[in-house]
Amino acid sequence: MNDIVWNIGYGHFLVLAAVVFLIGVGGVLARRNALIILMAVELMLNAANVTLLAFSRMWGDLSAHTFALIVIAVAAAEVAVGLAIVVAVFRGRKNVEVDRLTTLRH
Amino acid sequence: MIAPSRLNPGTPRMSAFRTGGLALAVALALIATFVRDAAAETLVSEPCPPMVAKARETLPPGTALTCRVHRAPNRTIGNQTIAGTIDILVADAVFPDGRRATLDLVPPPPADRPVPVDLSPTEKVLTTPGSIRSMEYEHGDLTGSSGTGMAIVFWGFALITVVGALFVVTRRNLIAAVMGMVGSFLGIAAIYMMLYARFLAVVQLLVYAGAIMVLFVFVVMILNRPEDEPVAPSGRAGQALGGLAILYLVVRLILMLVHVEPPNPQTAMAAPQGVPVCTAWKDNSCAKTERLDWGSVGAVGTDLFNAGLFPFEAISILLLVAVVGAIAIARPLGPEDERARQRMEGGVA
Repeated sequence: MNDIVWNIGYGHFLVLAAVVFLIGVGGVLARRNALIILMAVELMLNAANVTLLAFSRMWGDLSAHTFALIVIAVAAAEVAVGLAIVVAVFRGRKNVEVDRLTTLRH
Repeated sequence: MIAPSRLNPGTPRMSAFRTGGLALAVALALIATFVRDAAAETLVSEPCPPMVAKARETLPPGTALTCRVHRAPNRTIGNQTIAGTIDILVADAVFPDGRRATLDLVPPPPADRPVPVDLSPTEKVLTTPGSIRSMEYEHGDLTGSSGTGMAIVFWGFALITVVGALFVVTRRNLIAAVMGMVGSFLGIAAIYMMLYARFLAVVQLLVYAGAIMVLFVFVVMILNRPEDEPVAPSGRAGQALGGLAILYLVVRLILMLVHVEPPNPQTAMAAPQGVPVCTAWKDNSCAKTERLDWGSVGAVGTDLFNAGLFPFEAISILLLVAVVGAIAIARPLGPEDERARQRMEGGVA
């Protein structure tokens, strides 16, 4: 037990990433507010990035850094479009609860 | 006609989104069960087997060796059972002058396949149990990420990250959720730093804790609505199932954390090697190479503008499309859009 607390290895980073990813999954499943769901998705993307960088360090391969940079750029684009959609939806319906956005279903 | 969803958001019809998510969670839990068996195959530290004496002959006297092995399981061929033997043998060496290296040693042959006798001298070295197949020196120009101080820093920032993430999914107040997200991103930036991804740590701070946070705060201010119940009360059975699946995953993770092989503090998290980068070209060939620090702007930039050049250019187009799309979606509605919306609302929803 002492070893696990005081000797930090790659497993610690991977488990931390998995925990953050799970919290993100929980947020997407349990919350109804579209903004919170977007934030939870961002958490999941970040957790994936931590995993990428941990494996990059483990295998001594720098190309994962390029990959993580591209993931960050895609996440930024996704947030911009996602928030624009949230604002547009709010303007039309005065709420952003995903359970109530059912017009496309009828 | 008003859709039933408007009046009662908790009807079972509304939960298809959540049901899909729950199915995903259950699938993830099942996958995690099988992944555990794959993850169980790790190298185990144990006293060096006698054959390592062969390797010691070629090392300077006073070298300290720590062995890690992986054992092959027992196999059954026909009605004969062959006892499992060591199939990977790795030794971490600390030389008298303080340098460290990882040695890959030849494992003993399996019981059913003895060492062949007629061999050339080179083949003999590569098949004699305990002789050194390859040796990799650790690079010593940076500080490694092991030790008590590093552990304290790691647990501190891991705590910040996880508590921030929990804030995001539990707070009713949207601003509190955004602030939790920023705390979580700051923690992750520090974690990047611990993984020697310095450039990406700075990018993380600029993009997430800077730009994306401001974007979220602005949208929260624009919406400016009191939030209702943070967790949807519908579909009790489904929620119980999803909750159980997530609980199961968390328990599995904790069990995995308990089983994490304690790394060898001397070599496991030693500093990464510098990256050789060509700094001068002459007649289409490299005239001069330099070693750049792992994860530095120079090293990442060299990779980004060689192997990652096309994705880099593609990203610029993606960002342009995203900006144009965001403006197109969020712009104020013109009179004709307004008429179309009213037609749709009156007719369908």
